[in-house]
Amino acid sequence: MASAELAERYLTADELERRMVDAALRCVERWGLAKTSMDDIAREARVSRATVYRVIPGGKDRLVETVLQHEVGRLFHEADSEARQATTLEDLVCVGVGIAMRVLTGHAALNYLVRHEPEAILPHFAFHRLAPLLAEIAELSRPHLSRFLPDEAVRPAGELLARVVLSYSFSPVPELDPEDPDSIRRFVRTYLLPALTTTEERT
Amino acid sequence: MTTAATGPSGSEPPVPPPEAEATRERILGSAYLRLADEGLTQATVEGIAHEAGLSRATIYRHFPGGKDELIEAVISWEVGRFFTRLGEATDDAPDFTTWLSGGMLAARRQLDEHTVLQQLLEDEADQLVPRLVTVMPIILGVLREQLAQRLADERLRPGVELQEAAELLARLMVSFIGTPGAWHLDDPEQVDKLVRTQLLAGILPDP
Repeated sequence: MASAELAERYLTADELERRMVDAALRCVERWGLAKTSMDDIAREARVSRATVYRVIPGGKDRLVETVLQHEVGRLFHEADSEARQATTLEDLVCVGVGIAMRVLTGHAALNYLVRHEPEAILPHFAFHRLAPLLAEIAELSRPHLSRFLPDEAVRPAGELLARVVLSYSFSPVPELDPEDPDSIRRFVRTYLLPALTTTEERT
Repeated sequence: MTTAATGPSGSEPPVPPPEAEATRERILGSAYLRLADEGLTQATVEGIAHEAGLSRATIYRHFPGGKDELIEAVISWEVGRFFTRLGEATDDAPDFTTWLSGGMLAARRQLDEHTVLQQLLEDEADQLVPRLVTVMPIILGVLREQLAQRLADERLRPGVELQEAAELLARLMVSFIGTPGAWHLDDPEQVDKLVRTQLLAGILPDP
């Protein structure tokens, strides 16, 4: 296991996790979640079995949660510089919704599971198990949204955007096409901006 | 969904429709009880037949797909009952906003108090949720149609398309009712605020 030792010695904790998540995603894309073992992930990532369990402590039961969390973090990391350049709330939301929808609809492992192993993935996106994901997305959007929104509006705004992105990525409509920036801008301007900025109770 | 007239073989005489409908209801009621009691994995056609006081053959005549078809039918049946109760709770709302708030409140309360659903979500979410996702287009369709009908009587903000707005509202309602997130949907004031801000601010003009 020379390569495993090498990896474990020279990679930071973040790099190791990244490596393992990537390995897990490749395994799932290839033969699905049910047939993927923690050993497969160790082999694919070229690290030892012990390291896999150190990085993903819950083992296979916690694999989807760990990977989801990691992928959400990566999405925000990728969107970060473009989001920072936005000078208006409208631009920020268009950038965020566009990137998020493209990542979700183009995510090979996610699409594989929704199609072939819905029982493994869909419960994470519904009812009480969706709540932590919404909270995490709201937290990660906080620094961006708080540039344009008053404090009390930030968390609900992040959650609302997460709901819209998830819903329209899982079942798309032509009026909100992730590949068509004009359709995104129209949808954001018409429906989302007023919903995000209205915090006063209207009578 | 299979009707009695298209039974599995020609040897069985077709059951007259009203009677078939009554038997079907009886099977669904019994299936619901067994599924509630034993869960989706453990419940059997045998047990459901026993509960209904019918033979397994009769169950298969009505539901040739067996347990899978029964589970799907029970979910559709229970979703239908859910909407009927919801309709009764909101029928007398004086205006669109009140109707929407009342609907959200009643729907969330129904889900909270639905002990069978809560138990299944606890024990067998992996079995239940994908099946709920399968009926989701029907749920969204029903909601969208009702919303579009009501929205047709409202003045909409410039640029808002009726069908698009009904679609967005239906999706958001399902999302909030299933997962309230940061909102307390058992509090009428919060529901009212949610409806007036996040749900309707992009659709109806400022009053």
